[in-house]
Amino acid sequence: MKLLDVNGLSKSFGGVAALRQVEGHSVVGETLGMIGPNGSGKTTFVNIVSGHVRPDMGSLTFDGIDIAGKNPHQLAAIGLCRTYQAVRVFSSLSTQQNIDNARLLLSHRGLDQAELSELLDWLKLDHVLGKSAGSLTLFEQRRLELLMRLVLKPKLIMLDEPVGGLAVTEVIEMIQLLKQLKARCSIFVIEHTMRVIKELADRVMVLIAGEKVADGPPLDILKNKRVVDEYLGAQHA
Amino acid sequence: MKLHSKTILGLFVLMALMLPLAASGNKFFAFVLGMTFISLLWATGMNLMYGYVGLMPLMFAGVAGVAGYAMVHFTRTLGWSFWLAMPVASLLAAAVGVALGLPSLRLKGFYFTLCSLVIQTVLTLAFIFFPTYTNGDTGINQVAPPDWFGGELTGLGMDMMLAVVAVAGVLFCAWLVKTPLGQRFVAIREDDVLAEGLGIQVVRCKIIAFFIVSLYAGIGGCFYAAYVGFISPRAYDVLVSMNIWLFVAFGGRATIAGPIIGTAILAPIPFLLQDLQAFKDILSGVLIIVVTLMMPGGIYGAYVAWRSRQAHVASDGDKVQEQRV
Amino acid sequence: MTDAQLLILLSTLSTGLILGAIFSLVAAGVTIVYGCVWLPNASNGQFFLLASLVAWTFTASLGWSSWLAAIAVIVLGIGLSYLLEWILIRRLYDTPNRNVAYFVVTLGMTQIMTGIFSLTYAKWSDQFSLPPVVDGISMLGPFPLSNNRLLVMVVSLFVLVALFALLRYHPYGRALRAVFQNREAAALRGVDVRSIYRLSFVLGSTIIFLGGILFALAYSFDLTVAWTMSITAFAIMIIGGPGSVIGALVVGMTFGFTQAIVSIFASPTAATFSYLGAMLVILLFRPSGLFKR
Repeated sequence: MKLLDVNGLSKSFGGVAALRQVEGHSVVGETLGMIGPNGSGKTTFVNIVSGHVRPDMGSLTFDGIDIAGKNPHQLAAIGLCRTYQAVRVFSSLSTQQNIDNARLLLSHRGLDQAELSELLDWLKLDHVLGKSAGSLTLFEQRRLELLMRLVLKPKLIMLDEPVGGLAVTEVIEMIQLLKQLKARCSIFVIEHTMRVIKELADRVMVLIAGEKVADGPPLDILKNKRVVDEYLGAQHA
Repeated sequence: MKLHSKTILGLFVLMALMLPLAASGNKFFAFVLGMTFISLLWATGMNLMYGYVGLMPLMFAGVAGVAGYAMVHFTRTLGWSFWLAMPVASLLAAAVGVALGLPSLRLKGFYFTLCSLVIQTVLTLAFIFFPTYTNGDTGINQVAPPDWFGGELTGLGMDMMLAVVAVAGVLFCAWLVKTPLGQRFVAIREDDVLAEGLGIQVVRCKIIAFFIVSLYAGIGGCFYAAYVGFISPRAYDVLVSMNIWLFVAFGGRATIAGPIIGTAILAPIPFLLQDLQAFKDILSGVLIIVVTLMMPGGIYGAYVAWRSRQAHVASDGDKVQEQRV
Repeated sequence: MTDAQLLILLSTLSTGLILGAIFSLVAAGVTIVYGCVWLPNASNGQFFLLASLVAWTFTASLGWSSWLAAIAVIVLGIGLSYLLEWILIRRLYDTPNRNVAYFVVTLGMTQIMTGIFSLTYAKWSDQFSLPPVVDGISMLGPFPLSNNRLLVMVVSLFVLVALFALLRYHPYGRALRAVFQNREAAALRGVDVRSIYRLSFVLGSTIIFLGGILFALAYSFDLTVAWTMSITAFAIMIIGGPGSVIGALVVGMTFGFTQAIVSIFASPTAATFSYLGAMLVILLFRPSGLFKR
């Protein structure tokens, strides 16, 4: 059952093609990954799917609904949300207020207190509710981001470089959390290394220079000659 | 709202309603008090937009002027009662406010402020150059006070009415900011991209905010005309917008107490300084700079920060952090 | 073409060139400071007027020649810029979203200066002018152009070209443009960003002062030039593209000629109102302006 379905997606900025006829899909319950070097069009892809940028061409559906040109708030209402590369929380407000803001969308149809407490406990945020979100550690802020998305009861969460800036031990912990997250919600992880993706993704799309050059399980990607030559060879994946 | 704040608010309401009685012996003080109440209504509206939504609407006074001139037109030319003209004129002004604000919704920060400044200038020019409705730069005098059960509402009665209107404005705002809509305003102020990603309809909320804030401007504009008895383009120009903004910024934005404090301290000053317009300008300018550079949270913000330092705990989330420009 | 028509054409051309050059200068000053420091200077018209008025004081009260007055004003202007930067401007360098705060601060400065001017200069005269630097008239065909105005035209255009060269070729200019584009990258390359901020503020303000003196040399003026200049300069900056000196130049020259042409049929303030309208249109439909920085 397809969740996100993208076909022939193209976008140019000032004559430079950022995306060329990209197609791909994600399935309910499956974790989709996307990797590519900087400038490969990953960010553009995410921005288009999350409603921040309009595509020039192509079709974009989510859960059967045509979403090309929809605003981010409309997407949140149908169950599609994202986190950002540079962590984004309401820094001047308290953790509790951040969560309350996320609860505005669903209000009484959202999570009840028991479900919320469970999330707070799982993400280890129950003791920082009163602190301002800006004063939390980066890891705590990333966890808060996850909590705020889960409050929206989404069908798909797009995670844009979810371990960016975290220390090595924190990365390991975060991967564990994300593995547990898979049971709660379908996720789509965008990263520029295979390190995180190979532990989480069931399937990976590889973008290079705006084109999709491979699509398959992580092990296949790691053996794909073109991907290794043009991209992974330069890294220890 | 903590019980503590409710008590303070209650005390404020009591005081506000008693002040007209206290001042009724002295015409000058009564007038200053009346003007302060009108300014308080305006400042509360300005605070809603500037403090809670995070946009600085310098066309506020122009919108007030639209209502003021419309009200005068309705009562004089069409013979309406003030109590019909005032709501209709205010709604008209609110519609104008939304229409003018609509195109600038995508603008942020200084661009929005600049755009609103240009719109204010255009409104002032319209007031000057459409004399059929506004009598141009000469202004309209002998504006009648509101009608009241066969007579006129003047003196102590009018001052009490202004107090009631100002108090109602403050109480409405205090209620609004605690509602989900008020929460959405704050989320938009803090990070409108994140707010939109969480499902908040940013554009719709901004339009609602424009409407409500323009109502505050318009109602104040009508009462101003009926109270002072004379209006001109000067009464609704950019300096007025800046002054109202200053009441909010000086007192403490994004708080209910801030506009009250700022207006109470600053609004009487021009009347005490009488004719020295130039000195008022200079003082105003100095305060604007001092507040922006040294007291971004205003007086009330500084007080909150001082209290939290005394208590050695981080300020609780109830009051928004103040060291932000 | 008759002599009368040629006269009008040449007159319009020369006015257009002078006004265009001065507009471009002031707008360039405003756009440099905005692009570099994120400071939109709403009081630029007051700075402009201040220079003219102080120059008038030197010539009218102290009997100095316009040359000397001009130099003195520039020197004082540089000093004032440094002082302002030290007392006020540098306080916000580390604040994000400082463009609103700066805009408001400069609105405050505008009010202060307006108040001071109405307490002083407004009481001393309605119109002000500076004695010419050079005397005599040159004839361009049938068109008499005062040598003084010719000098102003030449100097204005020269300063514009020099400014352009500075930004393009001189190390300071390049550092300025590096900070324009990307201050983190510039900082990493070893540029002292704060001193570039200071430099650009002083440079931008001084250009505005210079514009004020040049204008005063060519035309007589009154206190209203402050707000007309502010509106014009902002309109040029927004339409040309904030941070773009080329934009300031192109749009500035366009506005100069527009003003010259409009002044034939209507009052110059009509032109100013049209700048307001154009600025509004750009703000609403293409806020990034016509040119890139």
